[in-house]
Amino acid sequence: MLSFNKDHPLDQLSSELRLDLLEIIYQSGGGHIGGSLSSIDLMTSVYFSQIFDLKKDHFILSAGHLCTALYVVLAKAGYFSPKLLPSYSSFGSLLQGHVSAQVPGVEYSSGSLGQGLSFACGLALGDRDNKTICLTSDGEHQEGQIWEAVMFAKKYQLGNLINIVDFNGYQIDGAVKDIMPLNDLAAKYISFGWSVTTVDGHDFNQIFKALKKESVLYPHCIIAKTTLGKGISYMENNYNYHDVKNLSPDLYNQALVQLRSKL
Amino acid sequence: MTISIRQAFGETLYNLAKTNRNIYVVDMDLKSSLCLNKFAQKYPRRFIECGVAENNAAAIAAGLAKTGKTVFLTSFACFSPAINWNTIKQSIAYNQANVKIIGSHAGLLSTDLGATHQMLEDVALMSAMPNMEVFSPIDSIETEKLITTISHSKTPAYVRLVRATTPQVFDKKLTFTIGKSHILKKGEDITIVGHGPILNQAFDSSLPKKVSLEIINCSSIKPLDVATIVKSVKKTKHLICLEDHQKNGGLGQMIASILLEKNIHPKFVHLAVDNRFGQSGRDSKKLYDYYKIGVNNLIDAINKIL
Repeated sequence: MLSFNKDHPLDQLSSELRLDLLEIIYQSGGGHIGGSLSSIDLMTSVYFSQIFDLKKDHFILSAGHLCTALYVVLAKAGYFSPKLLPSYSSFGSLLQGHVSAQVPGVEYSSGSLGQGLSFACGLALGDRDNKTICLTSDGEHQEGQIWEAVMFAKKYQLGNLINIVDFNGYQIDGAVKDIMPLNDLAAKYISFGWSVTTVDGHDFNQIFKALKKESVLYPHCIIAKTTLGKGISYMENNYNYHDVKNLSPDLYNQALVQLRSKL
Repeated sequence: MTISIRQAFGETLYNLAKTNRNIYVVDMDLKSSLCLNKFAQKYPRRFIECGVAENNAAAIAAGLAKTGKTVFLTSFACFSPAINWNTIKQSIAYNQANVKIIGSHAGLLSTDLGATHQMLEDVALMSAMPNMEVFSPIDSIETEKLITTISHSKTPAYVRLVRATTPQVFDKKLTFTIGKSHILKKGEDITIVGHGPILNQAFDSSLPKKVSLEIINCSSIKPLDVATIVKSVKKTKHLICLEDHQKNGGLGQMIASILLEKNIHPKFVHLAVDNRFGQSGRDSKKLYDYYKIGVNNLIDAINKIL
């Protein structure tokens, strides 16, 4: 008998999705697991909170390497069969190693950082009647193009635009603060004319509240403080798990035990 | 009245926008230079000003296109596609967004602006990109027809424009077809292929009269009208390729590669800028002579090749 003593109904789903993404990354031999585990609660919120109507609203994954999180979310949400998941990153698969718009439910192919927020601005400008939600990473904010888009969103008063920043504090070669510090990211967005909400990126109550915030004139940045590798203890805050190649069976089993204990 | 290629672009887009409400311009602080003031005044909601931020502008254009718009992304070629090439690759080409990239002031013909602005690598950059068409019109009428034609297409495209006022080649009866070249003059001895106004040099009165030239305007660089070029070269067995662009990655190299693969071996001269940066000059003829792509170089090539 599994115990369900959870703060939020989506906590259970989130643990299942973590298991799904561990599985496809382990079976395929590699993938960007750290950021996928840090951002999956954010994507789960977008797709399962029922705050958005994703037949009309848009979700743009700017940090395309977090595709494994999006793939398992989309499969769970019924955009395609979960039977496709094991083909991730294999030759001929729809599920490319960086997110691809060939996949049902994906609007934008990405992989080169910094472009998705601009694309999201274009969508939000062309479709003002609906929301556009973009997910960027903290390290991605080192790209100058992000700030070009941040200026643009304010100029065109894209109140229908939300940028969720998966702020896990790490990037491929180390801590963001060591590689190129962002300093006070919230203050930066505020100075560019955005409204900013900072949340615990693993707390669905906080994420939902921020996602529901309505604005006409102000684009909204949600800085989601997250944990790299969330849910697998040896991966948490360990930048060596930004991506993983050929996870050993032993480490895989440890991860399985930890994630299953949360079901 | 002769108008420049860029004036023709601005006028054409303004006219198209009257009936096609999905035409948008995403500009990078160069609306005056691209003759878009009228468009911006008449259609402010469809004129999106991004400032000098070429990467952002390219992906804004892609996002807008995905909402059903036909987007013209306008700047100088030395900035777009030069600065934002990878954004064009991912956000426009890979995502198959209906964006037409307009790179003005291309080639040495931007004259006094100097090396940073004389874009000589754009054909190479854009031809190498999958899902991308590449065009280089020779005059204002071809520009008008070309812009009108691609405004009905959903395919991403790059259009290379020049700053200078250049001679008229075509009259209003011209029909422009994607993937088709025009034989401007029939001839027997040498095929001269080129793109853009530099090809006017093939009509210069100082060229040897006794040599019969077949002159092909290759404004559709990608897709390329291989059949017309092959047929002409098989007939003349001599080919001169003329372009205001680097040799490396230029139209001449593309054609040479295609001909070699088809086991066709004409005598061949490629008149293009040879691995050098441009420089300022007020007279394009002087610049063309200095970079060995002028009329005298063409005469030398004709004499040498035969």
